Amino acid sequence: MFKKTAIAASVMMMSITTAQAETTYRIGITQNNVGVDSYQTTYERAFEAAAAREENVDIVVLDAGGDVARQIGQMQDLIQQRVDAIIIWPTNGQAVIPAIRQAHSAGIPVIVTNSKIAEAGMEFIAAFSGPDNVQQGISSAEMMCDALGGEGQIVQISGQPGYTTAMERAGGFEGRLAEACPGVELLETQPGNWNRERAQRVMEDFLTKYDHIDGVYSGDDNMGVGALNAAKGAGRADDIIFIGATNFAVGYDAIARGEYYGSIYQSPVDDAEAALQTALDVLAGEDLPKMNFFDTPKITAENLEEFDRPVF
Amino acid sequence: MASTEQTKVGVPSGKLSKAGVLSFLSAQGILIFFLIGMFVFSFFSEQFLSQSNIMTVVRQASIIGIIAVGVTVVIIGGNLDLSVGSMLSFSTVLVVDLHDKIGPTNAILLMFALTLMIGAVNGFLIGFLRLNSLIVTLAMLSAIQGFVLIYSGGQNVDIANQENTWFAFFGRGFVGGIAVPVLMFGLLAIVIQVVMSYTGYGRRIFAVGGNPMAAVYSGIRKNWCVFSTYLISAFCVACAALVLGSRVMGSQNNVGQGYELLVLAGIILGGTSLLGGAGSIWKTVIGVLILGFIQNGLLLMGYPYYIQWIVTWVIIILAVWLDLANKRKRLFTSHS
Repeated sequence: MFKKTAIAASVMMMSITTAQAETTYRIGITQNNVGVDSYQTTYERAFEAAAAREENVDIVVLDAGGDVARQIGQMQDLIQQRVDAIIIWPTNGQAVIPAIRQAHSAGIPVIVTNSKIAEAGMEFIAAFSGPDNVQQGISSAEMMCDALGGEGQIVQISGQPGYTTAMERAGGFEGRLAEACPGVELLETQPGNWNRERAQRVMEDFLTKYDHIDGVYSGDDNMGVGALNAAKGAGRADDIIFIGATNFAVGYDAIARGEYYGSIYQSPVDDAEAALQTALDVLAGEDLPKMNFFDTPKITAENLEEFDRPVF
Repeated sequence: MASTEQTKVGVPSGKLSKAGVLSFLSAQGILIFFLIGMFVFSFFSEQFLSQSNIMTVVRQASIIGIIAVGVTVVIIGGNLDLSVGSMLSFSTVLVVDLHDKIGPTNAILLMFALTLMIGAVNGFLIGFLRLNSLIVTLAMLSAIQGFVLIYSGGQNVDIANQENTWFAFFGRGFVGGIAVPVLMFGLLAIVIQVVMSYTGYGRRIFAVGGNPMAAVYSGIRKNWCVFSTYLISAFCVACAALVLGSRVMGSQNNVGQGYELLVLAGIILGGTSLLGGAGSIWKTVIGVLILGFIQNGLLLMGYPYYIQWIVTWVIIILAVWLDLANKRKRLFTSHS
């Protein structure tokens, strides 16, 4: 944290002393919780790399450590520093709205990245850039339907309770499944908290509770692999279709081994690059849609080779 | 074991009064509550009392149980260890990451050595420098988590060849029909219970936790005693990391987050006082199993996650209350 502030300070000094300071955009980013998960860590590196490739961009990189209060403080810091644009990965889609509004009133465009904010804040942001999690849930439901041939009983292991991504994926999945595949019954949903060990425990309990499970939908592959482990332990993995989202390296490998049916390919590198590009487009005054989704295709054994093995 | 249990069911002296009944209820309250809970759960879910479910719950509870056994020793010695969750993340990430780099045997040895080193730092600061254990282990919780993030670069670690490593034995193996994690849990609990109850060393830990001043005057080397309890705690964490890493065949760098609370919950449910000088490993085992069955039962009944947490903590607070009521020999305090 201190190191990052120091870097931020030195970046600031550099931009003041550089002759071409007028033409350089200074973009501040406050992230959610880098370091706790591989996705966010990879995102940060990709963001820094992408910014380094742009000649006229200086960045101030901050991380809220999952703490809403700290993120609001960081927003205020960035407003004080009069950066040209702020990218925010919201720790909480509701609580950050006042800070976003403050930036908006100060004339600094705000770009929300990766996770959406609540509807009430949408009028204060310049643009959103990120994955369409509802669409991801829909895609997963379609894969599940295909894999089961429209008939069966499934369970769901969702992400962190209260986290927008988790709710959107679950919502998209459940809605589409009911609509496109009425023959597939969703027996129960329990959260796995994006944690493989927790997901494994939940799945063990599901396996006890239900004698017959045809499929499992997990909010990400990390949990999906936990569910797979549990089913393998119970000797029931061959009877169950596993479908996840956010393809992790372990999920990719499991698809390659034929143990895991499919997932949604979501690259943190695409995510980071899209966020920076959206910010630059906003600064260039381009006419952008408010919601800028990057592509998150379905990935199964059939098209596995078209995708690189995820680095996380 | 009798010598180690200082609080016992109050035998009504003279008249068999309301207080006598109350004190019996308060001492055995959590057990009664547990039995009622088991009955209710089995009523709502026919699988609850099935052999396979019981095996599953005990296996799931093993990781928390193994750690709780070690932390119970620390607590009996009059201190706390809140750093066990972070240590679990550290040790699990380490053993999983090193598995592919230097082979399972070396990885396990190195992981045990480094985990014991963290225990030694805790023990030195608390035992010899006499710093407050709550503060030290809380600070270690953050420091170790920071170290894990630096070490792992924020990335998950996975064992590449999961099908072909004997490392799987610790989390997924069976010996004589019993899951290895359960076996490790049971073995550790028995050994440490015996040490605490029947050796001079165990008695010294009780003495240090019960009345440190008296212990020092009676010639006990208190510093070393406290130091050693943190080594025991670290050793147990290392064992738990072995089980966790092998069970999941990978690790997230925050995998142990929150374990310190679950461990404490299990210990408190078992009736070990956080004030030190009293408690038993056996009761901790029961407490951890109760915790496991509550969570499993609520999940089998299909309750949402939030409800599971609320009910779990309501039961824990109830247990603390009953424990205190037992010591006061009444359920409610008579004056403010």
